[in-house]
Amino acid sequence: MAVNATHREPPEQTAYRGVRRVDYVPQLFNNQPARFYLMWMLLPAVLLLAAISLYPFVWLIYMSLHEVQLAPGKSDLWVGVDNFTRLFSDKNFARGWVTLFKYSALCLAVEITLGVLVAIILNNSRLEKLFITIFLMPMMMAPVVAGFLYMFLYNGTFGWYFWLLRSLGVLDGGTILGNKTWAMAAVVATDVWQWTPLIALITLAGLKRVPQEQLEANMVDGAGPLRNFFSVALPNLYPFLLIAILLRFMDNFRFIDTILIMTGGGPANATKILPTYLFDVSFKFFELGRGAAIAFTLLLLTILLGLFLTKMFEDPARKIKPGGEG
Amino acid sequence: MASREIVRYKSPARSAFSILVILFLIAFFVWTVLPLAIMLISSFKDLLDAFKLPEEGDWGGVGVMFDFEPTGAHYVELFTEKHFGLYMRNSLIASLGSAVVSVFLGSMAAYALSRAEFRGKKDLLFWIISTRMAPVVAVMVPLYVIFRSSGLVGTLPGLILAYTTFNLPFAIWILKGFFDNVPYAIEEAAQCDGANRWQALRMIMPLVAPGVAAFIVLCVLFGWNDFLFASIIGSGGAKTLPVATAELVQPVKIQWGSIMAAGVITTVPMMFLGFLIRRYMVTGLTMGAVRE
Repeated sequence: MAVNATHREPPEQTAYRGVRRVDYVPQLFNNQPARFYLMWMLLPAVLLLAAISLYPFVWLIYMSLHEVQLAPGKSDLWVGVDNFTRLFSDKNFARGWVTLFKYSALCLAVEITLGVLVAIILNNSRLEKLFITIFLMPMMMAPVVAGFLYMFLYNGTFGWYFWLLRSLGVLDGGTILGNKTWAMAAVVATDVWQWTPLIALITLAGLKRVPQEQLEANMVDGAGPLRNFFSVALPNLYPFLLIAILLRFMDNFRFIDTILIMTGGGPANATKILPTYLFDVSFKFFELGRGAAIAFTLLLLTILLGLFLTKMFEDPARKIKPGGEG
Repeated sequence: MASREIVRYKSPARSAFSILVILFLIAFFVWTVLPLAIMLISSFKDLLDAFKLPEEGDWGGVGVMFDFEPTGAHYVELFTEKHFGLYMRNSLIASLGSAVVSVFLGSMAAYALSRAEFRGKKDLLFWIISTRMAPVVAVMVPLYVIFRSSGLVGTLPGLILAYTTFNLPFAIWILKGFFDNVPYAIEEAAQCDGANRWQALRMIMPLVAPGVAAFIVLCVLFGWNDFLFASIIGSGGAKTLPVATAELVQPVKIQWGSIMAAGVITTVPMMFLGFLIRRYMVTGLTMGAVRE
């Protein structure tokens, strides 16, 4: 087989930060037999993935148009778009979305603030290694375990955080998880505890990429550390923070384990974010048709987020290639 | 930051600021570590000791936390009466099974996606990543119905397949990034020297092996920590550690000591694995978008 250095297309040239990069598409892998080979390597994974994601997706659409009967021997009833139209009048559905966004916004606001702060303080300090090791510990914990742990800490008779809040005089009567506002704060706090470290780690990785020359030039121009942060470091951090926000937001509705364990969506639906509601509809009331319709709307959001995220990987100005140097 | 190289003069404002910074760091440290410490300590307390709290506002009474006779009874009970050994085995089989299947098929697909250019590649990649991003509950609704009709609910193969729905796209996506970083030149050189395709592929294996191993570990971690799939699809025959932990909650009395012990059992192996692959952690958790 001839190894050929000519390209099918003129190579794409990108100048980024003064580095000239030539994207090289080797002929080696792009002739007919090589492609045939590679396609065979690709096929098993794609087929399996189709079987466990595309096929269920078709089922999901089918289910959303039917009233699903779980009892054996009964066939599903065709209801058309009824499951969807019913969502419009479903108060819990709308409230689920609002709560989801409220919950995510609160989590993200606190996590980003704390994470960036911690990262800036730790960057290049002696404590960096120690803290990075500590950061890993909450992240490795199963969300269920985190949920139970915090439930234990918030407990109204023997919880240490309950005792702390009472002793500080912030919490008047009642329990933490029994009060609407406090329950929301409590589930947010759990998420913050578990995932602020990830934001800090991402920010630390980003801070290492801030060009030193820019910082120095700025300082020569007389900028102080604060000014330096806002006008040099932060703009360089944006892509990293955006990635962090997208990923955390995605996980906020991907995983509902902690909320399910701690409050189950209560009290009075105060923490019932949409996926929790979906869980109730599908696996408590077993109204799988309606559940499928809700799931469908959630998947639309996923696709939207996915579009954003893949843009992040592609945009050459941001140049965060998966696994690249970005 | 560059500011390190600039001479700083001590001023009251500056030393006040650095004290604030140190206080903040201490607070963050305590906030992160305290729950873990309480979990560990409580798992060794018997029921009465675990419920001891100082009076409200009695700050000196915090020492009560350490005033107990350590007992391993909860751990013994979990493994003898509550069959946690079995659940641990289930967790291990399900998560490891899914991880191996995902990374094996995923690395082949990732290599192909990294090397080949074809029409629709972008769409294929988008489908793959959006599969990974789909909310677990939303995926579970149709999967439950399908698995029910094919008798996969409550079996370990069913659980392995369920975990593969998020592990396989993860493996493909992240390993593609990994293979993208391996220069074509190695394979080209090998083929120039007369190697065939497989031999050329073998040449780059040593380069990617550590990453592949690390992502197997990460896939194990995702599966091990999963609760939703395990509680619905694994319910019955394939109970995993998180589900078994959740079942310790009984309406009459919640066995907090056992739950904390179960938490420790579930968490400690994963923390250990986490430290092992620490270098790949951020890459893995950000889908390869951020590298350290």
